[in-house]
Amino acid sequence: MIYNNILIFLSGTLLIATLVLVIKREFSEWIQAYKYQTIVLSIMTGVIGYITNNWEIYLAAIITFSLKAVIVPKILIKVTEKINYDFKNETTPYISIRLSLVVSTILVALSYFLTQQIQLGEDVIATSFLPVSISLLLIGLLVMIGRRIALNQIVGLLILENGLFLFTLSLTHGISLIIEIGIFIDILVGIVISSILIHRIGYTFDNIDDIHQNRESIEYTEEDD
Amino acid sequence: MIGIISSTIRILPESFLVVSLILTPLLGGILITIFKKKKLVEIISVLSTTFILFLTFFLFSYIVDFKKITLFNEFFYLDSLSMIILLLISFVSFVSSIYSINYMGKQYRDGIVDDKHLVRYYQGFNIFIFTMLLVPIINNMGLIWVAIEATTLVSVLLIMIYVKEDPIRSAWKYLIIATVGLSFALIGTIFFYYANIHDPLLPVQPEEDKINWTNMLENSKSMDPMIVKIAFIFIIIGYGTKAGIAPMHTWLPDAHSESPTPISAMLSGVLLNCALYGILRFHLISSGSIGAEFSNNLLIIFGLLSVGIASFSVLFQKDMKRMLAYSSVENIGIVTLAFGFGGLIAIYGAILHMINHAIVKPLMFFASGKISQKYETKAMSKIKGIVTTMPITGIMFLIGGLAIVGLPPFNIFLSKFMILSSGFSSDHILASSVLIIFLAVIFIGFVRNLVMMSFGKPKTQIKNGELGNLSLVSMGMLVAFIIILGIYIPEPLDILINDAASIFKQV
Repeated sequence: MIYNNILIFLSGTLLIATLVLVIKREFSEWIQAYKYQTIVLSIMTGVIGYITNNWEIYLAAIITFSLKAVIVPKILIKVTEKINYDFKNETTPYISIRLSLVVSTILVALSYFLTQQIQLGEDVIATSFLPVSISLLLIGLLVMIGRRIALNQIVGLLILENGLFLFTLSLTHGISLIIEIGIFIDILVGIVISSILIHRIGYTFDNIDDIHQNRESIEYTEEDD
Repeated sequence: MIGIISSTIRILPESFLVVSLILTPLLGGILITIFKKKKLVEIISVLSTTFILFLTFFLFSYIVDFKKITLFNEFFYLDSLSMIILLLISFVSFVSSIYSINYMGKQYRDGIVDDKHLVRYYQGFNIFIFTMLLVPIINNMGLIWVAIEATTLVSVLLIMIYVKEDPIRSAWKYLIIATVGLSFALIGTIFFYYANIHDPLLPVQPEEDKINWTNMLENSKSMDPMIVKIAFIFIIIGYGTKAGIAPMHTWLPDAHSESPTPISAMLSGVLLNCALYGILRFHLISSGSIGAEFSNNLLIIFGLLSVGIASFSVLFQKDMKRMLAYSSVENIGIVTLAFGFGGLIAIYGAILHMINHAIVKPLMFFASGKISQKYETKAMSKIKGIVTTMPITGIMFLIGGLAIVGLPPFNIFLSKFMILSSGFSSDHILASSVLIIFLAVIFIGFVRNLVMMSFGKPKTQIKNGELGNLSLVSMGMLVAFIIILGIYIPEPLDILINDAASIFKQV
């Protein structure tokens, strides 16, 4: 039980970092907030590794830090350098920033409620980190559906992925390293592909609203019959 | 004849077969990167798929005799169910690689793709086959997730080969929806793993073997039923997104209609089955743990919903490839539903339907690709008189269309009939009746469009004649299989399907 305070403190820090992601409007600010979130996450991973005394989890912490806190933000900043400012700034979200903050707090409460339904036993790590990871998943989904611009969906996806990582780790105390490496590679390739796509969206679409247009209305308006 | 072949196969150890099966497409991808000439690249891709097809046949005869293969400390695990998926992957990729030469060649001549994109296409094609081949042969459920996620990433790259607005839009949609969906599948997998390692009295201890499917199935009796239920719901939502089960199918019509036609055929013919394979594996574990009723009911509900949504969507489609994509949703729905019925005949029918759909749908996509190249549009209202302008393709298109709505004497009639008859003879009369209504709706929608496109006079002046022989060869092979499987099922295949169906009965 001596770890309890540290674990609760870390969970709180991670939730604050996530809520900062929810309230920001601009892409570069998101990347910064995401960096902080990931650094907190890798510290948490290290703590889990210390408690369970498993070298594989230390390795996972190092990979998380170097991949998600250094490489992914660099890639995203690099590809979004040239594209139009309109694509990067959230002016008219579907769910307003204020409302999404309120909804996020409700989601956090909900995830604490939900994890109480699972009988976790005496597991300190799972009882303190599992609710946080589920709230990260839910907030990630909220960010994805609530915002208008395409880049936001990547941010939502990244939050979701962090939540997934924490979820896996806290529930099972580390699945085998080969699976974790596979998941990391998938994430990295996914980010690279989505950056290529964003790059292409940047120069193929003139207008931010184009990507939301209903494709049926574009293609068949010229039909003569 | 078969005796001679199977005696020669015995010489090759099964570990060699499995390893070379995985390495062939990788090697193909590397060779394509080295030789960048158009001709060479085409030959390499056909050779690699042919070799995969051969290896699969060897493995097929192995599995028919010995039922299962486990290799390298249970890292690879093949049984009859994986063999069926493997057969579909190798067959459809073989046909697609032949068709690709013709289709991409025409795009190349028309200046739609250049050398760089062509090489990239064939690289992606081989790596796509590689990732799909990994799915049925791996035992570790976590790595199966990694492989299925990898298929998403590679197929996104293949969809965005054309740098235009619509493919980019649909690739984006596909990437986001499929990735989010698969995250749920990972949560489900982790929950199953947790249920396997979880012991209320002891602290959680990770053990590497326990994520293996064989191990999970062995221990399924002692899993916590509550966690298994949660986990299976996550699995069916997660892998269901990738399998195109409604209401998570929204990415599918866009992705299937905007990708290059051979890729559409692979996406619809095999990739959906790969994702469904993930659901089926967990369906087996969950049936072993809490009884089949829970997962069966979920499969029936989602399957029926898919057929329903797809059938009414087919009625209102204006784009040929989108109509075919919705038809894929329908067929995957039928397969899911039939696995939910759960009788031996229903599962036999479901597996047969999987195979039949993987034969008919590529034919439809191939024909529609040729048609849209000829008419330079995908809008169905602008396509008239295919049978007069392209007689052979037109007739094959008609055969495929009539097969897919389930008319005798073609193959899909047989599997649909089996599924329906077992549904009516078991206690799923309501679901089967609703299914018949939906099938009637889809019949009307599909046949109306088919007749309107096939007959009549072309609106614009279009020169008569086929576009290349290679496409006809690949389509001809598919038509031959449609007719053969409509009349009788070869004995080895029958044994294989029976074995696979009996896996579902053992638990």
